[in-house]
Amino acid sequence: MAEVTVLTDDLIRQLINVGEVDLLVGLPTHNNAETVGGVVQAIQAGILKSFPRERTAILNVDAGSKDGTADVVMASSINDLRRAYNTHALRTLPSITTRYAGSPSSETALHTVLAASDLLRAKACVVISPESVNIEPGWVDALLRPVYRDRIDFVAPIYRRPKFEGMLVSNVVYPLMRALYGQKIREPYPADFGFSAQFGNEFLAQHSWHDETGQFGTELEMVLSAIAGGRRISQTFLGTKSRSEQHPDLVAAMRQTVGVLFASMEVKSPDWTNPQVATVLPTNGPEYEVTLEPVRVNKKRLSQMFSSGVSELAPVLQSILAPPTLDALRQIAALDGDALRYPAELWAKTVYEFAASHHKSVMSRDHIVQALVPLYRGRALTFLMENRSASAEEVEANIEALCHEFERLKPYLVDLWNGGK
Amino acid sequence: MPARQDSLWYKSAVIYQVHVRAFYDSNGDGIGDFQGLAQKLDYLKDLGIDAIWLMPFFPSPLRDDGYDISDYRSVHPSYGTLEDFKKFLTAAHERQIRVIVEMVLNHTSDQHPWFQESRGSRNNPKRDWYVWSDTDTRYKGARIIFLDTEMSNWAWDPISKSYYWHRFFSHQPDLNYDNPIVREEMWSVMRFWLDLGVDGFRLDAVPYLVEREGTSCENLPETHAIIKDLRKKLDKDYPERLLLAEANQWPADLRPYFGDGDEFHMAFHFPLMPRMFMALKLEDRKPITEILQQTPEIPPSCQWALFLRNHDELTLEMVTDIERDYMYDSYALDKTMRINLGIRRRLAPLLDSDRRRIELMNGMLMSLPGTPIIYYGDEIGMGDNVKLGDRNGVRTPMQWSGGWNGGFSAADPESLYAPLLLNPVYGFQAVNVLSQKRIEHSLLSWTQNIVRARRSTPVFGSGSIEFLYPANYRVLAYVRELQNETILVVNNLSSSAQAVELDLSKHKGRIPIEMFGKNLFPRIGNTPYLLTMGPYQFFWFRLRRI
Repeated sequence: MAEVTVLTDDLIRQLINVGEVDLLVGLPTHNNAETVGGVVQAIQAGILKSFPRERTAILNVDAGSKDGTADVVMASSINDLRRAYNTHALRTLPSITTRYAGSPSSETALHTVLAASDLLRAKACVVISPESVNIEPGWVDALLRPVYRDRIDFVAPIYRRPKFEGMLVSNVVYPLMRALYGQKIREPYPADFGFSAQFGNEFLAQHSWHDETGQFGTELEMVLSAIAGGRRISQTFLGTKSRSEQHPDLVAAMRQTVGVLFASMEVKSPDWTNPQVATVLPTNGPEYEVTLEPVRVNKKRLSQMFSSGVSELAPVLQSILAPPTLDALRQIAALDGDALRYPAELWAKTVYEFAASHHKSVMSRDHIVQALVPLYRGRALTFLMENRSASAEEVEANIEALCHEFERLKPYLVDLWNGGK
Repeated sequence: MPARQDSLWYKSAVIYQVHVRAFYDSNGDGIGDFQGLAQKLDYLKDLGIDAIWLMPFFPSPLRDDGYDISDYRSVHPSYGTLEDFKKFLTAAHERQIRVIVEMVLNHTSDQHPWFQESRGSRNNPKRDWYVWSDTDTRYKGARIIFLDTEMSNWAWDPISKSYYWHRFFSHQPDLNYDNPIVREEMWSVMRFWLDLGVDGFRLDAVPYLVEREGTSCENLPETHAIIKDLRKKLDKDYPERLLLAEANQWPADLRPYFGDGDEFHMAFHFPLMPRMFMALKLEDRKPITEILQQTPEIPPSCQWALFLRNHDELTLEMVTDIERDYMYDSYALDKTMRINLGIRRRLAPLLDSDRRRIELMNGMLMSLPGTPIIYYGDEIGMGDNVKLGDRNGVRTPMQWSGGWNGGFSAADPESLYAPLLLNPVYGFQAVNVLSQKRIEHSLLSWTQNIVRARRSTPVFGSGSIEFLYPANYRVLAYVRELQNETILVVNNLSSSAQAVELDLSKHKGRIPIEMFGKNLFPRIGNTPYLLTMGPYQFFWFRLRRI
């Protein structure tokens, strides 16, 4: 068993009371009192419907919420004093909670869930985001059943998304991962996912945990670990995922995704440098679904941020990008907003050259990742413009084309990686 | 003769259920009898029981194991004579053992002379001793109980060309309790046995005495009125005799059968029993605490009758569909083990002959609020034979020794009323009284000990119960209290060792003394009381203030 440091004495006491379980539900939270009650209720309904006989516990890992989130979760235990809502529970379904100090960290949360799962000898685990306000009870079954019944090691979600949501994933993470590792994982940085005890324990033991405040991206590392370990991965369609209002920090998001991916290439280079043919994963339900809600975009601002980024970061980009790529970028940046187009081929080359520079540490690796942010804005604007009137199928076709471009240019990346310029 | 002045004797009693036919054959005809039962009274005395509950021993065509009575005032010739019964009763009383007999009020055999007369013609004076109808459409609200065999609660009588009402098998016509002559006659039957000296009746199938259109024909006010009337007569002429209700109902529906202490003295707690098995398999106390939370208070003079197994199937009528499926999958995967809505198996096979689980279940039986009933043979861990029809697989001969016919009978083995168990695990050569008497740690010896411990205090029979709810839900803990005596019971329902912290702040300063070994445990202090428990282990602690 791995050395465990994230488990407080209080949590150990709670785990003693829970005892061995078949299924463990991890619920990382931070000030989610408004939504977490409904999420827990849906989880419980899902467990009672699909796994009524299994010993199951809900583990809330809270980042010191001030709004009573943990109390809401604790109070929702189904036991001999509190009945299940609207249905009969065969057995106790305990909800326990633990807090960690510092700012929210998905790494600490996942570390705690994995350690608890190991100690409780859970056979299958699922992590559910407390922000999944429209979670259905069926999600639990969709994420757990492949693990518990079909011996899948990792189940990634597929959501029905508005076509312009998750552009960082569709324009960078998904195509890059697919080109590197040959796996078509639509949500490689999942908020809701299931995994087997065997894989979870292996990741717990092998991952180098930092548990620093503000650490994110561990979910993506887990996906990468599953791929690298040749684990059985599947996807499952969950439906629409509404999130509570949020204003993502693009730099942080870039670090948590592209930064992690670039870092993974160091560790897993023997895996990804081999030729890969993208394989379709076993998927429960549709492989994608896109909704076509109109979206308001400030094209001018995006364009300006892109252009000024290219200009202001010129010395940095000069160290990262090959001259032809930089020249092409400068030409694009000189165009006005409506004419700006960042073609797929150039974007793929850009990303690959960033990856190689990251590998060679031509400068601080974090600066390299940050420098990609303004360029991504140019690519995002292009994606928005190209798909403004596109149907769901056309959007999917464009993403597929981008992926093909990444795959076609992979030898270029390998060449750069191995020392070519 | 047991002391008659203890009117609440049944509250602290341990009852032993036995079928005369199955216990001991004194005359070598292959069938147990009253003389044989009398010879084994010392065994029962040693076991420590207070009362015997006898299953039906009346003349009967035996199409329902004697629950189809054809003469209420006699003894089935296979079991001896009325004189034999009287001698047995005297011998039991000499050993301070009371005797409760079965009384089937609801129906008779179709071979009973009353029914033969009743069906003889529509003008027969006994015609309205039973429930007759020209159609089979009345009382549609009544459920069919024996789903495996009966299609309707009405059966066609070709002799009088009409339908008669039966809630059980079609050969068991229901008596018509709207007829005052029937009510008087059945009281007369009860008087007959009370005058002989029996200490009480287990009244079979009581919810079904009266029928009314538009109802379920169960638990009707008219039925309660009949019970009250019987109880009134009993108290007047036969004080300290017992009425025990067999009513497979939810606790809330059972509660009225206690009335204001003026109906039954005792009633079986049917829903608790399957939940004890469920809790054990789930390793979760919730099924037990839930059903006991739903169990209403009963008058102080009344008592629940608790049991683990009996002569019938482990009934799953009083559970939800999801619970029933779980029980079937857990305890009766082989469908031949299932009958009606239940499982026809004995205690030991249900628990895989696991001593730890058998002991834990008996520990709960003896310590939860109520009077425990031990089914014959379970004290030695007898098995069953699901290949025998109906519920006969749990009614095989008592296994006294590893010798001829297991010491049950001197008859040819082929003559036995039912084949003995022969398999290597549960057969009479492996499981029998004689061998267990010789072993200090046998199940039989252990059962004697726990019965002794139970009888060492009135708390278990009459005390209050307060459940503790430790966060470890695999542990069922409760405090039994009566006057100045307090007993803490802690049961580990899990197959693995458990640590549990108990909030015993109310008992701060007391010293727990384990009741079997009499060892002291650390004094209860300010902090939660920590216990570590082995798999399926249980503790009974006297909480002494010294």
